[in-house]
Amino acid sequence: MSRPKVVPLRPPVADGDDEAEALRRQVRALEDQLRRARAAAGGRPGPLVAAARLVQELRSGLSWEKAARFWSDVYFSYHSEDVDEFGYDARFAETLMPLFEFLYAVWWRVEAQGIEHLPGDGAGLIVANHSGVLPYDGLMISLAVRHEHPARRTCRMLALDMFALLPFLAPLLSRSGAVRANPDNAVRLLRKGELVGVFPEGVKGVGKPFKDRYRLARFGRGGFVRIALRTGAPIIPCAVVGAEEIHPMVGQANWMGKPLGLPYFPITPTFPLLGPLGLVPLPSKWSIEFADPVRLDEYGPESADDPILVNRISEDVRSTVQRMIDGRLARRRSVWFG
Amino acid sequence: MSAGRLAVTGASSFLGSRLLRRLAGQRGGDALVALDVAAPPGALGVRHRAIDLTEPASDQQLLEALREEEVDSVLHAAFFTSPRRDATHAHELESIGTLNLFAAAAAAGVRHVFLRSSTTVYGASGQNPSFLTEERALPSGSGLRWLRDKLEAEQHAASFARRYPDLGVTVLRFAPLFGPGVHTFYTRIFDHRVVPMLMGFDPLVQLLHPDDAVEAALRAVERRPRGIFNVAPSHPIPLATALHLGAKIPVAVPHPLAYVAADALWTTGIGDAPGGFVDFVRYPFVADGAKARRELGWSATYSSRQALEAYLRYRHPRGEATPVEATA
Repeated sequence: MSRPKVVPLRPPVADGDDEAEALRRQVRALEDQLRRARAAAGGRPGPLVAAARLVQELRSGLSWEKAARFWSDVYFSYHSEDVDEFGYDARFAETLMPLFEFLYAVWWRVEAQGIEHLPGDGAGLIVANHSGVLPYDGLMISLAVRHEHPARRTCRMLALDMFALLPFLAPLLSRSGAVRANPDNAVRLLRKGELVGVFPEGVKGVGKPFKDRYRLARFGRGGFVRIALRTGAPIIPCAVVGAEEIHPMVGQANWMGKPLGLPYFPITPTFPLLGPLGLVPLPSKWSIEFADPVRLDEYGPESADDPILVNRISEDVRSTVQRMIDGRLARRRSVWFG
Repeated sequence: MSAGRLAVTGASSFLGSRLLRRLAGQRGGDALVALDVAAPPGALGVRHRAIDLTEPASDQQLLEALREEEVDSVLHAAFFTSPRRDATHAHELESIGTLNLFAAAAAAGVRHVFLRSSTTVYGASGQNPSFLTEERALPSGSGLRWLRDKLEAEQHAASFARRYPDLGVTVLRFAPLFGPGVHTFYTRIFDHRVVPMLMGFDPLVQLLHPDDAVEAALRAVERRPRGIFNVAPSHPIPLATALHLGAKIPVAVPHPLAYVAADALWTTGIGDAPGGFVDFVRYPFVADGAKARRELGWSATYSSRQALEAYLRYRHPRGEATPVEATA
């Protein structure tokens, strides 16, 4: 960074208007200098500084340029200028982190177990049960990994297309690190050595009625096993308990969902009865449990084309997750207190 | 280098003229033939044949020209980068012109044709994967005539490649160009201070610097790989981030309204593109450049953000409107 040149404050030469004009010019020169110095440092002012500056500058009239600069300063206080290839925006995620941490530590009091089963580095495929109408479970899994794992690893969750295509939710998900669920994306991330989280139940899991809670739906067609076989990544079964109760879906109004482009339109005791307030999830007590990794090294990538093997591994993983859920449920005395 | 000449159609287009200049520097003007209604700059010393691809008999003229000039390969760059109000003319040039060109090339025994296409042929759709590869099936049609012509040009290319095994065909699908000198309906979004954006949508966009585009095309001409190649920068950028980097004031518009409003503006002659183009700021069409890296040995030197910044510097040389220089 080059040292900013200092504009000397010359004594005013004349009285009255001239003096005021001279001072004004000096102030402008100083402001320019400040701006250039900031630009050289590469930083942007925070929203408060930007607002204060805008108010100050408004004395010389409002212009589109000032408004635009203010607006972009505010925007970049909460967003990075660069995102990764899937659109993950580190600063945006950081901005939302206090809210996520509140949900994790206070609202749902998540208890994470078996975090030591996650690899310290390199690829891994976390396979979990999906529930809760909205994809909070994915968020909580990635928070558990981030906060409880000694290496503070990040976990990229694969989001169902129905979420990844929904207006408002879609940009929110991709900016906070979720990736659209398709095999190519999963393989791409695993080859880079990342932890990837996937919900093989898909829509059948997240949109299941309350009476079917904690009964795992079919694990798709074993696509996640093929991905693991192709990349050699271990599968880490994961059971989430508590998410089924956050939005107990007692009915569906699919005639409402269709025009909105949703595969289901949930009816819960609070939604749509209480309007937007019904979107507040209930504060159940959660636990997230990771099991021993299933290593698939012995098979090799070509066995991804063996449907019998794929289905067997898929069923094994499914029964592991179901067993963990059942064990947890048997020990759970209260939905709200664990 | 091969013995025959390289012919360039659309030699006075943005990309065509830049390529012609670079190629003239590489192999001398006499090894090149410009097939265009307008003559190339005399200083290049490039041979010129005035041929209008929209004329009904252009295939005959092309055939004659290709034979007489002993053309060995053709770089077909005669395409519009923005929607045209005269859609019939655009159709004659892009779809029929490409058909004529391939017919003449096949008849004249040309060994290789390079087709300039774009990643917009994949169409912007919510169903698009995060990275479109060259194997992705193209939509069979489109409501946009602009896009339909591009798709037809690609279909002609595929059909001739299949029917004439001796004719090598390379299709280069360029991401939207963004940088100094580029003026398309896409760059014009950044020429206003207040920019409408779709409420609740913020797709990743890929912006390709023209220098990178030229480099990729030169690589292809040099190596003559057959097949389709995405020419795309590795790092996309969210549209909202791009707008704020350009110090724009985005105004959120509900998407049903946006289609109608864009159509109305287009019909009244104010807008730059018809309503169907709203899809391209609603859904992503991000192309995977891995194949070009692997087989062309080319990768973009500018990220999408750098291409955008180069464009903004070009539009606002004093830096007054760009936060990159004014406030950063």
